[in-house]
Amino acid sequence: MKKDRREFLIKSCGALSTVAIATQMRHFGLMSAEAQKVIDDSPQPNNPSDYRALVCVFMQGGNDGNNTVIPNHTAGSSNTFDLYNTARSSQGLAFTQAQLAGTSIQVPRIGNLAYALHPGLGIQTPATNIVNNGIHELWASGKLALVTNVGTLVQPTTRATYIGNQVVKPFQLFSHSDQVSQYQGGRSDTQSFTGWAGRVADSRQLIDNQGALVPMVTSISGAQLFTSGQSTLPLAIADSNTLLNAVLNPAGFGTNPTGSTLARLNAFNSLRTFDLSNNYVAAASNVTELAMQANSKLQTLVTLNTNFPNTSIGRQLKQVALMIKKRTDLAINRQVFYVQLGSFDHHTGQVAGQNNLLVQMSQAMRAFYEEMVAQGLGDKVTQFTMADFSRTLNPAGTGSGTVGTDHAWGNHMFVVGGGITASNFYGMDGANSTPFPQLSFNTADDSDNGSGARGRWVPATSVEQYAATLARWFGVPSSSMASVFPKIANFSNSGGINSDLGFMQPPAP
Amino acid sequence: MKGRTSHLYLRYLVALVLSLGTVAGISAQTDTDPNSPMPILLTGAADNRALTRQTVARPVLKRSKGGAAQAVAYEEQIVPAGAFARDSRAVLFLANLDLMEGEGANAFRVYGRDEKDHIFRFPVISIEPTQMMRMNVYELTIQLTDETGFWGEPSGGDIAVYLTWRGLASNEVKFGIDTTGGGIKDSPGVVPMPPEKVDAQLSGGKPSIGRGGKQIVPNYVGYKWSGDRRRFLEQATFGPTAASDERIRRVGLHVWLAEQFAAPYPSLSNPYPNFPLQAANPVTTCDGSGTDDSPPTCFRDSYTQYQPQTWFFREAYYGDAQLRHRVAWALAQIWVTSGVDIQQGQHEVEYFKILANNAFGNYRELMKQETLNPAFGDYLSMSLSTKNNPNENYAREIMQLFTVGLFMLKSDGTPICAHDPCQVGESPLSTYDQNNVNNLTRVLTGWSFCQLSGATCPHLTSGTVNFIDPMILNPAANGNINNNRHDVTAKTMLSYNGAPNVNIPACATTGSTSCAVTTGVNAAQALANIQTYANTSLDQALDNLYNHPNVAPFVCKRLIQQMVTSDPSPAYVGRVAAVFDANRSSPTQMKAVVTAILLDPEARGDNKTDPNFGKLREPVQYATNILRLFNVKGASGNPLSDGSFALTNTRTSPPLVQVFEFSGMAQVPFMSPTVFNFYPPDYVIPNTAVVGPEFALMNTGTAVQRASFVNRMVFTSPAIAVNSPDIPLGTTIDLSDLQALSAADSSGGLLMDDLNNRMMHGTMSASMRSTILTAVTSISATDALGRARQAVYLVATSSQYQVQR
Repeated sequence: MKKDRREFLIKSCGALSTVAIATQMRHFGLMSAEAQKVIDDSPQPNNPSDYRALVCVFMQGGNDGNNTVIPNHTAGSSNTFDLYNTARSSQGLAFTQAQLAGTSIQVPRIGNLAYALHPGLGIQTPATNIVNNGIHELWASGKLALVTNVGTLVQPTTRATYIGNQVVKPFQLFSHSDQVSQYQGGRSDTQSFTGWAGRVADSRQLIDNQGALVPMVTSISGAQLFTSGQSTLPLAIADSNTLLNAVLNPAGFGTNPTGSTLARLNAFNSLRTFDLSNNYVAAASNVTELAMQANSKLQTLVTLNTNFPNTSIGRQLKQVALMIKKRTDLAINRQVFYVQLGSFDHHTGQVAGQNNLLVQMSQAMRAFYEEMVAQGLGDKVTQFTMADFSRTLNPAGTGSGTVGTDHAWGNHMFVVGGGITASNFYGMDGANSTPFPQLSFNTADDSDNGSGARGRWVPATSVEQYAATLARWFGVPSSSMASVFPKIANFSNSGGINSDLGFMQPPAP
Repeated sequence: MKGRTSHLYLRYLVALVLSLGTVAGISAQTDTDPNSPMPILLTGAADNRALTRQTVARPVLKRSKGGAAQAVAYEEQIVPAGAFARDSRAVLFLANLDLMEGEGANAFRVYGRDEKDHIFRFPVISIEPTQMMRMNVYELTIQLTDETGFWGEPSGGDIAVYLTWRGLASNEVKFGIDTTGGGIKDSPGVVPMPPEKVDAQLSGGKPSIGRGGKQIVPNYVGYKWSGDRRRFLEQATFGPTAASDERIRRVGLHVWLAEQFAAPYPSLSNPYPNFPLQAANPVTTCDGSGTDDSPPTCFRDSYTQYQPQTWFFREAYYGDAQLRHRVAWALAQIWVTSGVDIQQGQHEVEYFKILANNAFGNYRELMKQETLNPAFGDYLSMSLSTKNNPNENYAREIMQLFTVGLFMLKSDGTPICAHDPCQVGESPLSTYDQNNVNNLTRVLTGWSFCQLSGATCPHLTSGTVNFIDPMILNPAANGNINNNRHDVTAKTMLSYNGAPNVNIPACATTGSTSCAVTTGVNAAQALANIQTYANTSLDQALDNLYNHPNVAPFVCKRLIQQMVTSDPSPAYVGRVAAVFDANRSSPTQMKAVVTAILLDPEARGDNKTDPNFGKLREPVQYATNILRLFNVKGASGNPLSDGSFALTNTRTSPPLVQVFEFSGMAQVPFMSPTVFNFYPPDYVIPNTAVVGPEFALMNTGTAVQRASFVNRMVFTSPAIAVNSPDIPLGTTIDLSDLQALSAADSSGGLLMDDLNNRMMHGTMSASMRSTILTAVTSISATDALGRARQAVYLVATSSQYQVQR
């Protein structure tokens, strides 16, 4: 059944006014091939019967995975605490096993051996903004999964094929901006105009969010590549320091403007429909229009059950929780959120710096998880992390006050929520036949070559495989995977596209 | 060509006048018409199908045995275009150009819109002069392969095509891709432009479009082009004022530039903040807690960016050396350090001074000074990088962000790929790899803060880290050769055509220059030799970077983006880059570069019609432009703002007071979130293939904050309880001149005329004007201030104004 263009616009932008349609028409000449195909081919699809959301927690600057997940056993495996300790202790960057005692985990995938999480993810001494026991505890309850040695890849790559230049390498490895773009863009062979959440929205908005009053994707941290689709724009709002009814409300109009104030508001809104021949004017009008439309839908406030830490990431996730609580008002079924915390770029000062950030992240993610349980959405909302890259196993500098690390590659990602299958390590096996990278220099998984090798792991699992597993749970069907992740076919195995790492439960029926 | 001769003649004249003007100090002069002619794509007479060169079959009669028979001959004709095969080449004819020496294909961009309203861009392969009737016409060859890669393939059928040149858009024409027809709709107002009509227009009784160089009105001096004057001031300053507009009208652009190059900076009334460096761990009398701080503002002034921030805004509001301030600010968004990590305001002041001091100087000198600047050393970890524990941070960023960039570039800034031009989705060639980063890192090991007493470190203050003097090598060596932290082994720098210093040799281990203790060289001498070697290596490495062919287009494009337009044509980048290169060794290189940026024909002109011309005003420019337009003042009757936005009368959280407005809009000066600046130079606006860096800061949240900022400035008069000398005074505007205009004309027309000129340089559309006028006249004519506020709010918050164009 072919729907007309105007109907598409109404649905894709969330019930826009006639004025808005006039503004949007020009830009929404912008209909992605994917969205067009959906309109042309689909029978009238039905909205899904449940609610689902993905929440991306981006660790800006590149979190050091080597101090985030640590082998905590001394025998029986190629990866041991000793390898880690030898590589890092002399410069003051290694935890002791005593320090790791409170955050140990057992890993079924690797013979039930003990690993440990960064102590910042465990129980903290009571203090300001310590509001719960952190996310380590969720491992035992089966709500925390780890996808290990994930990174940007164009195709499956090993140390040998990397060093031998036998594979296409990700574009500009080790550069912050490019690696962030590849995680967010969901492809590593070239620069991307769109992010993978944006393409998920391009693909699903018309089907899953019919009649929704706000876009599928919301950022609590400004414009991000991750959130931009070809035919869909994200909402961007401030954190919970600003109430939802004020977050997109321009000052000065009050709640029920009359007289000259109403005349001003009307003119303010009308001006966005003129002079759109300049692309920058049109783009600015487009964003402002989206804000004004969403604002009108956010005026009724809701409250939460859970105490969130008053940190940046805490306030961001709290705002997400408030948005989710309004899901019925907003008539929305599928949402993707973006939050971030930084600055993980610890070339120096990592010991205190990383701990501080991971405590903030852990406290906020745990609070968010508990709030979702309270909202009855424990298994319907999944938090997952991304980061620029990991950091060198070999430290930069020395001494616990100054020691840091440099840019590296494969890293470990957290997935939190009742939608995971079980607490375990996930991902493809690397050189040591486990999904955890071998902590050895100039051999096994190290992409560095030669005597100065510093330990930059060749990822065994690509960002696309990680993201596609999440997208599949969210409701992206196999038939759409290639349009959301253009290079996913590079990671096929003999059985077909290997885009399901198994850490998420099946999609909604 | 005739046109070119006279054009060149005028340029010589300008040069002569300029030199006279410079000698005489300030001397009125007349600048030439800044307007380029509007390019015209020629069409057939019947409709707007583009004229093209096509091989046309012509039936001929041929005599043969058994009688006459039809045959076909082929000939090249200039005809209205039918359809071209996709990925083939097409020829278009272009009239009414006035090309400069060397101006060619990369000055043009050709856009096509298909029936789905998708926009494509087709590479221009060549442009060749030809003659048609009495006109100089150009034959433009384009490749019908989209180069943006955003929409995939255009749908078949007719597409609407226009071309841009120097910020101007041509008329719209039409031709087919694969086939003609389809659902394309012409833009409103499209008319045929056949050669006969264009020829008559150009050479008939009327003056040709834009050839105004000869139309000087004698009783004007300086620069009479009022629209372009305003645009120029938006590009070169923190916003036009009545006084600066009048100054340029009188003296012209060249003399104004000469005045700006000579103006004292910072303004005499606004010297750089000069607060003593403080200990890394605040003492209790300067820790911002309790009541014992002495002075009470100690923490605010020393440990936050309050002083550089407020100083920066005072200079933007009132400074005379606007151009230097603007260029320094542009450089600060390339060479980024940030108070997010840098502890003390004074540290940032010292870093910013280098940018301002070199804003009209030499880029290589800027590179050296910032490399050794302590704030940079701290921010990007070079101060900690040693031969045994090298830190790649600064080495990577100086290449990626400050000098050569990630990709190999042509001299016009377009990327170099394995294919020429790059194919859609093809990655450009990399400028360097990890090995280069490692090698440069090793060159940069061993420097740290200047902590030696005596003449070496004149600004050292006991108990503080020296963030004033440049970093030095091995400050902690203390005469012990084992304390050397510089890597004295050989290094390999970037290799490219003509590259200097590709190989930096290892330091000698014997002889008088030995870096190791050896016969005749004791530890002290060896350390001195290491210092010499390291400093020489540093200069060699910086020369290796500076001479890379990427530097000119890389740096110049960023400066153009900061000042003029987000997506400059490659030709514009190329022209400025050529000036950068021609002045490589000049101590006033950047003066020439800034002049080239501002006087380029792509920057100049009364009316810009290219849909991709201009830039979204970043929050800082947005705010300062509005404030300067309306007599920026302090709150509560203070004649001058102190640079703060005082929304509360508390000093318990002074940085928040200062930055409040800018944190909402996501650009707090001296507080960039990362070394990648507030926004990336290659940011592509979501839902488009349009480059718009500042749009990285424009989302639903910040868009509303921009309107709220204007609301607070226009409608509220922040009342500050000035009962304590250390409370920020705040900033407000004064609309009394507009109020008078408003009172003088109850129709609101005078008010609108003034705002159109003042804020929109005459580009306000009729619909925009009437919409605002309706809202203005909803207020009684007796409330003149209310009407002025209504009008200013609506213009200032409009997207039309938010884009500098």
